[in-house]
Amino acid sequence: MTSTDVTPSLFDSVALSRGSYCEAFSAQRQPRGHWQPILGALDAIGGDALRQHHERAKRMRHEDGATINPFDETTERSTSWALDMIPLPISETEWTGIEAGLTQRALLLEKILADTYGPQALLRNGSIPPELIFANGNFLHSCHGIQPSGGRFLTVYAADLYRGEDGRFRVLRDYASNPAGLGYALENRIVMSRVFADLYHRTQILRLAPFFQTFHRALISRASLRIEDPGIVLFSPGPDSPLYFEHALLSRYLGYPLVEGQDLTVRNGKVFLKKLAGLEPVEAIFRHIPDLSSDPFALRRETANGVAGLIQVCREQNIDIVNPLGSGFVDTPVLKTYLPILCRQLLSEELLLANHPAWWCGNSEGLQHAMDNLGQLTVESAMGQAIDLAGPVDILTAIKTKPSQYMVSAPLAPSLAPAWEHNGVRESYTLLRVFACATEHGFAVMPGGLAITAGDAATLRKNCPEKQQSKDIWVLSDKPVEPFTLMDGFHTISEFRRSNDLPSRVADNLLWLGRYLERAEGLIRLLRSVYRRLSGEDRPQDIPELQFLLNILQTKNIIPKTPDADISQLLFRQLTEHLHTALYRKDRPESVISILKRVQQTARNVRDRLSVDSSRVINRLDDFPDTPLGDPLELLDKTLFTLSAFSGLAMESMTRGLGWRFMDMGRRVERAMNQAVLIRIGLPQVCGDSRNTLQALLEVSDSLMTYRARYKSAFQLAPVLDLLLADESNPKSLAFQFSGLADHVEHLPRLSERRFSCSEERIALQMLTTVRLLDLTGMKCGEEKTQQESLATFLVSMETLLKEFAQQVSGHYLSRVPATPHYTMISGDRLE
Amino acid sequence: MKYRILHKTGYNYSAPASLSQNELFLYPRQTPTQEVLDCQLTIVPEPQYLHRRIDYFGNTVHVFMVQHPHNELAMSATSIVRTSRPVTPAPEKTVAWESVVQRLAGHKQPVELEASQFVFASPLVTVNSSAIDYARPSFAPGTPVLGGAVDLVRRIFTEFSYDKSASTVDTTVEQVLVNRKGVCQDFAHLAISCLRGLGLAARYVSGYLETVPPPGKQKLVGADASHAWISLFVPDFGWVDLDPTNNLITNETYITVAWGRDYGDVAPVKGVVMGGGVHMLSVMVDVRAQCEGEK
Repeated sequence: MTSTDVTPSLFDSVALSRGSYCEAFSAQRQPRGHWQPILGALDAIGGDALRQHHERAKRMRHEDGATINPFDETTERSTSWALDMIPLPISETEWTGIEAGLTQRALLLEKILADTYGPQALLRNGSIPPELIFANGNFLHSCHGIQPSGGRFLTVYAADLYRGEDGRFRVLRDYASNPAGLGYALENRIVMSRVFADLYHRTQILRLAPFFQTFHRALISRASLRIEDPGIVLFSPGPDSPLYFEHALLSRYLGYPLVEGQDLTVRNGKVFLKKLAGLEPVEAIFRHIPDLSSDPFALRRETANGVAGLIQVCREQNIDIVNPLGSGFVDTPVLKTYLPILCRQLLSEELLLANHPAWWCGNSEGLQHAMDNLGQLTVESAMGQAIDLAGPVDILTAIKTKPSQYMVSAPLAPSLAPAWEHNGVRESYTLLRVFACATEHGFAVMPGGLAITAGDAATLRKNCPEKQQSKDIWVLSDKPVEPFTLMDGFHTISEFRRSNDLPSRVADNLLWLGRYLERAEGLIRLLRSVYRRLSGEDRPQDIPELQFLLNILQTKNIIPKTPDADISQLLFRQLTEHLHTALYRKDRPESVISILKRVQQTARNVRDRLSVDSSRVINRLDDFPDTPLGDPLELLDKTLFTLSAFSGLAMESMTRGLGWRFMDMGRRVERAMNQAVLIRIGLPQVCGDSRNTLQALLEVSDSLMTYRARYKSAFQLAPVLDLLLADESNPKSLAFQFSGLADHVEHLPRLSERRFSCSEERIALQMLTTVRLLDLTGMKCGEEKTQQESLATFLVSMETLLKEFAQQVSGHYLSRVPATPHYTMISGDRLE
Repeated sequence: MKYRILHKTGYNYSAPASLSQNELFLYPRQTPTQEVLDCQLTIVPEPQYLHRRIDYFGNTVHVFMVQHPHNELAMSATSIVRTSRPVTPAPEKTVAWESVVQRLAGHKQPVELEASQFVFASPLVTVNSSAIDYARPSFAPGTPVLGGAVDLVRRIFTEFSYDKSASTVDTTVEQVLVNRKGVCQDFAHLAISCLRGLGLAARYVSGYLETVPPPGKQKLVGADASHAWISLFVPDFGWVDLDPTNNLITNETYITVAWGRDYGDVAPVKGVVMGGGVHMLSVMVDVRAQCEGEK
């Protein structure tokens, strides 16, 4: 430290490292010009405040649900998206260089793609080796000859850059198939501009929003789409994708509906989105799914996420896909070693952004270099397919056997930048993921991007976002920047669209979410009643209503059926064991923990439709143990509370549109079924011991308070049944559910305008009318056996109708038929 | 020879299929030894969408979609072709296999570059040491390339048993090598894997073969089948077709439909069906020699 300045700085701890460029400080430990305002500002904010900012930013990302789902599925826990508080500033002069280099590279790569999927002159004239096309899984034969819309073969492009020791930027990797990170860059900017609102607005930082606007406008004009309500969708592999958060964020920000493979279908050589009211044409797809998974019909048939026939639609030029299918050719690692020559040949220019030094083992010079320097080089797959370099396999032999499949590259020594970690500043290796999109005339580069950081260069090289951190890249302008609010987006029109239609898949998941929630709540109430009784001083056989409660559990297959169905035979210990199974066993489909898992899964599938708060509540269900731990009664109470909180938040925050209707419909169907079964099973027993069983029936139906408030009298059969069956003002009654269902079906989109023309409408009306006409007067225990029998018949018929109702709704609106591939087998002939 | 080929594929679904999408490689290729006089494609129910194109390898492909509920689907192709006996070089007179490998790697001539795409592993034909080891005995140093291939095909014919029950569409080359049995598709894949492993260019050919009933027996309609064999690149000559299933260099009784890197490129019928429950597949092929003038 040569400086005489004695003011202590947060950055005093930063050590200059040999072999790597230091982003923030010169070799003389002087802060670089474009870092000065940021270092100064951070020092002024101070360590304590930064710590708070860090926590705040973490909370914000958590609330936004910004996660990386783990690649390793066994952990089942998602990792938070790690954003560092210290941005990575780049001066505008330097950025201009990056911009020019990236634009040139995008133009070059697009020309290469156009040739590869067209005349293949580069192959014929020997500019590229045959292996690059014929032995490369990234070249898709079925995409050859396809003319993409607007003649644009590359419409979004990303590259990983690093700054070498000499201070120059080099390209480590190119991405075209489905570049990732655009959404995380956006999230970083949103969080940073909120946390450092003051600094952000004082500093002249180029805004990201105009880039997204350019992207959108170029797509509209290229594909000749309507300005209002263009048929663009964002195609995600779904919630199981590690980057699902990014897809959901981009979908919201760009206003492109988030769809999955099963939402789309191909008819007449065109793509359609399956919605409740029917098929809606799709004219452009912003895909976040790799080339090979995009079309199970033409490409890999084992893929579950694609759309069968998508490539055929491309052949017919009926869709604009960003990026066009087959563009993953650009991702081929070895391609970049040919770019310097191809740049001269195709653009008559020198390549502006140099590559990270790499050699292909498929030619003799490259192989020689690899053999001579193997110890200092990193061996990689040349074509990007998975290669197993671990274990006892001799790498030298592997390379010699199939040299064209390997490439070697120089050690990576990226620059170091200050990073905030555990209350202090340390140095972190840094890559820059930068993005470009096609414009009418060429390419536009996003002024900023995603800085990816890690404590060691090896982690940086790997594709493991859960082990890396990130920074927001700030491109500092010399001129004042035009204010452009990120959050407003540019798609303000969509805010006012009250489209009353939604994808069938979403409706299906919401319906089941409603059903599972209700199922979980019902079961928990039932088990809670059982535990309450067992926790008293009475012996099981002395609790008359226990038989009734256990009968219900047995009927629902939650505890095993005993041969004589008599609880006096059931030992207390046995019973406890059964109940534990009902609570904690993951392998039992009807156990509490299994149903809770299904609640979480379905909620996850529609995460983008639920409020942030409700998504947070659902994560608390993770705490439900899978082994007996503590007081089950307490656990059941707590879980019921969480579920109620979730239902309340989810329902409250949803507009009363179709999504809400489907979720509520699921709940009503499940509750009505549950209620019908409860009463049917309880009926023969209530008369044996009227008081206790009736009370238990009211208790598990959550109607005890209502009954007491209304009748203030002893429990009697007729009023209890009236409350649970016919009272339309009791939200737990059968009549209430039927009336809700009748209202819902009336509001579903339908093909025929005539009322009651579809079967689910007729069934709902039939159930509602039957329960309204139900005569319960004089219903008493004792002689009137026939009355009880006719009630039982009524309940059975209601259960049948409910099942049929659910089937009709699924069949009409949600039909998700599985796709089966078929191939003929060639057995051939053998001559006799 | 003039042939009339009828190739029928039928699907019966246990439940109505709502959407069916299919790709057909049933239209025979025009080659120096094969003239396609006519080819008619009939699909029942009539598809709402039908598209025809020439693929990367020059094959004719039809893609169609039936978009309304249907319980069965029938596709039939009726082709009339005239074949002639291919001229093939004497196997022992062809150049040494090593020099073929070199010429393909050097690919100085456009035909060699064109052929070199069939040197590499493809999705269904892996190339690994076990296949190379199997190929070696047929390719001693200096062996004429076609001589070696003829011997390889002979060994596959004698050492592997023909067994329809042993294979599925997904049977791999490794499995065939271990099990020592399979059908024509498996033998073709194995032979291709062996040849590519050495650095030679070999492609997969899909087509038909006229079968002759045993003496005194009448030929049964539909007794034929789709067939598959291989084609080997011989420099300064072109491609020579060999049939590992029957230990033959192909003749005028072979009708070529399509070729590609492996079965996956040229499956005669492949498709995706939405719904439909359980599928019952029926395939019927009939290859009839025609008199000239007969329609």
